[in-house]
Amino acid sequence: MDAPEAALRKALVTDDPDSLLTLPELADQSGLSMPLLEALTREGLLLPRIDEGEPRYHPDDAEAVKAGLELVEAGLPLGELLDLARRADQAMRPVAEAAVDAFLRFVRDPVQGTAPSDEEAAARLVDALEVMLPATRRLVGQHFSRLLIEDARRRLAEDRT
Amino acid sequence: MRFVTRATDPVADPLARDPDHVWMSAEVSLWGWGEAARLLPGTGPARMQALDDAFSDLVSKSEVDDAIDVAGSGPVVFASVTFSPRSTGSVGVVPKVVVGRRGDTWWVTTADGASLPETVADPGAEDKARYAGSSLPDVLWLERVATAIERIRAGDVEKVVLARDYAVWSRAPFHPPRVLGRLIDRFPGCHVFRVADLVGASPELLVRRTGDRLDSLVLAGSAPSFTDQERDTDAARSLLGSDKDRWEHELAVRSVLEPLRNIGADVSERDEPEILRLANVQHLATAVTATVPDGWDALRLAELLHPTAAVGGTPTDIALELIDALEGMDRGRYAGPVGWMDRTGDGEFAIALRCAELSGARARLFAGAGIVSESLPEAELDETRLKLGAMMGALGAE
Repeated sequence: MDAPEAALRKALVTDDPDSLLTLPELADQSGLSMPLLEALTREGLLLPRIDEGEPRYHPDDAEAVKAGLELVEAGLPLGELLDLARRADQAMRPVAEAAVDAFLRFVRDPVQGTAPSDEEAAARLVDALEVMLPATRRLVGQHFSRLLIEDARRRLAEDRT
Repeated sequence: MRFVTRATDPVADPLARDPDHVWMSAEVSLWGWGEAARLLPGTGPARMQALDDAFSDLVSKSEVDDAIDVAGSGPVVFASVTFSPRSTGSVGVVPKVVVGRRGDTWWVTTADGASLPETVADPGAEDKARYAGSSLPDVLWLERVATAIERIRAGDVEKVVLARDYAVWSRAPFHPPRVLGRLIDRFPGCHVFRVADLVGASPELLVRRTGDRLDSLVLAGSAPSFTDQERDTDAARSLLGSDKDRWEHELAVRSVLEPLRNIGADVSERDEPEILRLANVQHLATAVTATVPDGWDALRLAELLHPTAAVGGTPTDIALELIDALEGMDRGRYAGPVGWMDRTGDGEFAIALRCAELSGARARLFAGAGIVSESLPEAELDETRLKLGAMMGALGAE
């Protein structure tokens, strides 16, 4: 692997091994039961690293799980939440693939083809990645939020509820 | 009381006359109006026997003039019995008027000269069934399923069926004829019933007694069904090949065969389970037939076989303790026997699955799942979610 690729890969490894949580630690931090966290993991909603046969969870997972718990506490049955998560996973996977594809073809390739040195290519790619990841998250999040609000408005207007 | 049964021309649309009590199966259909007698057996393990005694007593004090004399003619009792002997609500009703149909034979039975009610007016626009809540939040239900799996893996019990409920409401009262009509359309091949406002469509025949012949259809082990033919066939094939489902099914079949053998019934050889395909789910199914000894009428046979492993578990006593400890609700008449019996003891009882207790504009729906050692809590949650969703759709406009 050349230097720019290695730098990108390194920038994508966000989990510091020391900050990863065991299942009981995640249960403790999120306030959710172990059977529920195990179910969420099997459903693919949590993606732990397997370390010596034991799952290790990213601290961000605790945040995501807490958000799910808030939905359940607000009244959404868990079964419906799991169903939404499966649908979201199915709908978003091809979008994620297309986004990565676009990054590789239209950001990485030009940088690698034009940068004067590997070092500079690596630096420019890592900079681009660090801007693009959070920007994508904001873009997609905002779009989905708009869709939710628009659909809710439309449904409330047409349905006698 | 005087019961008179006469042949009649086919009644065009009995449901349009809003019958209070309904039983519709491939063999026989019965529609009943009013109450000549309401039999309340109370609680306890002999509640079906108590219903049986009360009905026999009523018949012995009545005059019966039955010109048809087939299974279902003459006075009949519609019965719906609680799952647990401790629950209240078991009930038997002898209607004032019964219209019956067996193949091309139609009859009407009246008590003390009552007459068949007219068609009721259509209630107009209807609302949908809206979720109101559950006895136990499903997050907790999932954890209870996990506890049951732990107990199974520890070897305390082989199988336990855990159920959960939805309370629903509507802006307009539920109209039973419409609900029954949708159940008939959506669950072909099921036994559609309404007894004291428990309405449902059960695929599971606990017992049919005709003379000395007994039939029972055991269903346990299930998979989703699909409209796509290929996916559907794949699901059926993997269901037939699944050790988990085959074992769950085997336990349910044994729970029917053993008590029958214990009373000296002559049980015929059984075949490999087959696939029974329903609207949104397919089951492993085994048809059991037997010749039963004298004195075992349909109600007593239902009492003998209830609760099967398909609604309780194996071994029954420990499974029932776990259900009590884990479910966090009273099943009421859900998963109990529901059906009818005539004065000769012929009758049919289904297990009250896919059902709802109607109460004006409110209802309570139930669904359960068989838990064995390979079960996954989230899969069982989803199975019950789909069953509850299907029942909710049958209750009102979607």
